[in-house]
Amino acid sequence: MTTASRVAALFLLALLAACGPAHVVVQGDFPEPLLDPLPLTLGVWYDEEFAGHEFFDEAAARNESSWIVSTGESQVQMWDTLLGGMFRELVHMKGEPGPGQMNQVVDGVLIPQVDELQYAIPAHTSVKVYEIWMRYRFRLVTTGGKPIAEWTMTSYGKTPTAFLQSDEEAVNLAAVMALRDAGAHFVTSFARVPAVSDWLRARGVPAPGSAL
Amino acid sequence: MNGIARALLVSLALFALGGCVTAQVDEMVFNEPTEGIGDASVVILGRRHASDYDTEPEFVRCVGKYISSRDPAINVIGELQFLNELYPWFEPRTAPLNARDIERLTRQPAVARKMEALKTEYMIWIDGSTVRGESAGSMTCAIGPGGGGCFGFGTWSDDADYEATIWDFTDRAEVGRVNTSASGQSYMPAVVLPIPIIAPVQGTACDGIAEQLLQFLSSEY
Repeated sequence: MTTASRVAALFLLALLAACGPAHVVVQGDFPEPLLDPLPLTLGVWYDEEFAGHEFFDEAAARNESSWIVSTGESQVQMWDTLLGGMFRELVHMKGEPGPGQMNQVVDGVLIPQVDELQYAIPAHTSVKVYEIWMRYRFRLVTTGGKPIAEWTMTSYGKTPTAFLQSDEEAVNLAAVMALRDAGAHFVTSFARVPAVSDWLRARGVPAPGSAL
Repeated sequence: MNGIARALLVSLALFALGGCVTAQVDEMVFNEPTEGIGDASVVILGRRHASDYDTEPEFVRCVGKYISSRDPAINVIGELQFLNELYPWFEPRTAPLNARDIERLTRQPAVARKMEALKTEYMIWIDGSTVRGESAGSMTCAIGPGGGGCFGFGTWSDDADYEATIWDFTDRAEVGRVNTSASGQSYMPAVVLPIPIIAPVQGTACDGIAEQLLQFLSSEY
């Protein structure tokens, strides 16, 4: 292949790439929470849908771009860090809790799910901020799968437009903010869920985040 | 040739006239530390709970850098470092909105221990943003086998409005407020090459607010 053909092929590839959806694999650092951990052993089960969570939004018009936002890896990273700091011990379950499933002995198993994810970029709104909004559904169950509590929780992250920042970088930053917010919301609301509060009381555990 | 020289002259005149910034700073402080803050530290944080704007992290960094570069004795804790070390207590959802809330926050033993380790004496909250105002003019750029170039003229205004609120961490009280507002007009004439004449609006606002904070915190100013 001559140099000219190579350049032409690269140019064509670049053109084709420009037609594809904008893909953001969310990446960020998530700090450990500053808490005195609850004296409990918590199990966690991330199902495939959660661990590989991906959001796809098809372009509504020809001048818009489709979006794929992959949050699964960051979700697992953030929740592992948060729950690891919030409880004395965090155990990853071998299988989904249920009757007959052999699993490690823990005080309860948390199963997080992403119910919904929405995003907005300045091209969609007149506001110069990128936004990500998520709704989680949590189930707290016994190792045998018996329900202890079930509740939903929202999180929100935004970042302003910045010079030399691409849409993808800004959406990633907004998603990282939304994940951090999810952690903050979880810490401050966990013990306020009535069924969780009863569960904690039954184990003689003081409520976390009660200062706020 | 004559046309290019004239265009250059116009550009130079615009440079002399344009890119100017007007700024105003208001200050109201109580209980200024007469001996400075000693070996204690100060943290500068941006407010991020409004729905339509965020205080820019680079503005917060600019203020911190201005203070620590002029008085190296003042230990300014980086915003991201503080937010990470105190996570999740200073996120937009959980951050204290007034000085009295510090009391509730430090009831968490882990938070109290960390604040003591960081020796945080003053917490400064900066709220505001720089927004692009009206713009006018038009510019056309073209590229061809022989080269390319632009022709036209563009102008826009920027407005910065920030307020710094100083909390005394030991006394759990607000001890001062500094307001700064700045506005400026930027120009971009283009004769073959665009020549940006940018008004440093955010930088002027940063210098204005940081100078007042420096006078409050430093024993040498």
